[in-house]
Amino acid sequence: MKDLVRQKLSIHVEVMDMLNKQIEKEAHSSSAYLAMASWCDHNALSYSAQFFYDQSLEERGHMMKIFRFVNDNGGTAYSPEVKNVIHDFKSLEEIYETALDQEISITQSIHNIVQKCRKLNDFTTENFLQWFVKEQMEEEQMMRRALELFDLMGTDGLGLKLLDERIPQIRESNLPD
Amino acid sequence: MKVLHQAQHFTAYQCDHSRAFVIDFGHKQVTFTFCQFLAFRHQVKNIDLSKHFSGENKHGFEIMVLCNRKHIFIFNTHECIALKDLLKGSFTMLELNSVLAASL
Repeated sequence: MKDLVRQKLSIHVEVMDMLNKQIEKEAHSSSAYLAMASWCDHNALSYSAQFFYDQSLEERGHMMKIFRFVNDNGGTAYSPEVKNVIHDFKSLEEIYETALDQEISITQSIHNIVQKCRKLNDFTTENFLQWFVKEQMEEEQMMRRALELFDLMGTDGLGLKLLDERIPQIRESNLPD
Repeated sequence: MKVLHQAQHFTAYQCDHSRAFVIDFGHKQVTFTFCQFLAFRHQVKNIDLSKHFSGENKHGFEIMVLCNRKHIFIFNTHECIALKDLLKGSFTMLELNSVLAASL
């Protein structure tokens, strides 16, 4: 019997399913960042708002990268439905904590797919995902840097405003030399 | 055509000559390209059987449109269970075939 699946598909079917789940997660992450941007905008934290608008775009970029990869390799990518986006937050600190948790969860999910690729000898996808492994490391570092600002500067009085103004620097300091 | 998997009510085949997959639904045979077969698998995977038993899906039917809207099917709960079995079994066989082909 001919191996029709291999003729049509360069990646493993199970991995394709996991990548589709990852597409959902990236889309959810993008929407969650948009909600955070909105909260910051409404609370006059314009630098953080811009930071989360940019993050939202970045997550969508990640989603599209996976989406194209699945389709380019003969699979079928499914446009995700986004539900349960949280819009209410207690404070800016809670937002950055949630953002870090979200990034950790995405990292874990990427690592799980890499693990699956190794188990199934899907080297094509594993190679593709190496970019995401590095990217996630940087994303986590950035969110940690934001949370460190809360420890350093506090949020009393002018502290919160000054902290917000420092937010663009955490992205800049994340850029490669 | 070679049998991939047989479930209650339905049978899936692979046709090497036309590089396609065929499902015999009893009253009708439908030919799928690989992409269409993947799409059908996705549809079947997304059937939430628990809704059939909790009363959320009151009528107990699933309506599916297949192969670029060429076919429309209505499946009852029994058939949905059989479809899940059929698709799972077929893809397991395809995977085994890939492993076998790679080792030759």
